[in-house]
Amino acid sequence: MQNAREQIAQGADVTRWFGSLDDKLSLDEYNFEHFRAKHLLSDARATIEKRGVRPGAMAPDFELPRVGGGKLRLSELRGRPALLHFGSPS
Amino acid sequence: MTTGSVEPLSKLHALWGDEVDFVDVVIRQAHPGPGAPTYHSFEEKMRDAEAYQREFGIEWPVLVDDLAGATHQVYGGLGAPTYLIDSDGRVAFYVMWTHAPTLHKAIEQLMRQDGRGVVNGGVDRTPHILPAMTDGWNGLRRGLPQSLIDLETAAPMTGVSAWLGHQLRPLLAPLTLRAKPLPPAAKAGLALGAVALVVLGAQSFRRDSRRNDWKRSFSRLWG
Repeated sequence: MQNAREQIAQGADVTRWFGSLDDKLSLDEYNFEHFRAKHLLSDARATIEKRGVRPGAMAPDFELPRVGGGKLRLSELRGRPALLHFGSPS
Repeated sequence: MTTGSVEPLSKLHALWGDEVDFVDVVIRQAHPGPGAPTYHSFEEKMRDAEAYQREFGIEWPVLVDDLAGATHQVYGGLGAPTYLIDSDGRVAFYVMWTHAPTLHKAIEQLMRQDGRGVVNGGVDRTPHILPAMTDGWNGLRRGLPQSLIDLETAAPMTGVSAWLGHQLRPLLAPLTLRAKPLPPAAKAGLALGAVALVVLGAQSFRRDSRRNDWKRSFSRLWG
């Protein structure tokens, strides 16, 4: 649904609209049991296609649980630059 | 991948932590295996995120994305990217394959722009694999043996290279796990050194091959 992307781009919470996105991976595809060549290829394709949030656009807002308790909302950090690293423990 | 970035990001945090808010978002298990199984509940994911923060000594907030990776996917679903967000909440820059020296330069530029606007072209797409080759083993080792078997099947030699990089860590780390870019003089020195090695190797090989002494040139190369 195009509307979901627009909502997110305008600052709506990611989690509220994610379900309506039509180009998302299913839970099993995303949360895989085995690392395969297709995951490597998908990283390579993402790099070539310059996937990601366009520079200059609003960073999609989200609120996520924090290790040690509590939650953190990205938009609360406005007023200072922020560095947002996505990572896997393995 | 990710675990190769933790030390350089910690060094970057030591340099910029007073001026920039660092945030980590834990995504899926990239290289699952017995010691690091695929998450089947949010509680499992939260527990692993706690271990991740503790084991790697991460000094900034670690957040946990949902099982479906909603936040990760909306940000492009890239392997292990880092976004630099400006003071107004807009994307100033992102590096698709997290690389601290590239981020260091982007932060410097953002500070020159008073914390606002797009910097350094906005995107870095270079596949920075050296940090992962040096410290990626720390992540891979958590899911042994399945993590290594799967990775070797998907891309032969990458897992083995990560193991080799781990063995050579003391040698590689000063070059590959930095927060600041190498000074130009050091880069030139390294390039010169590499050229010198190739020239010397080729000369020694040619001298021995003229005498048809292949065995000797090989033993000189490998011995």
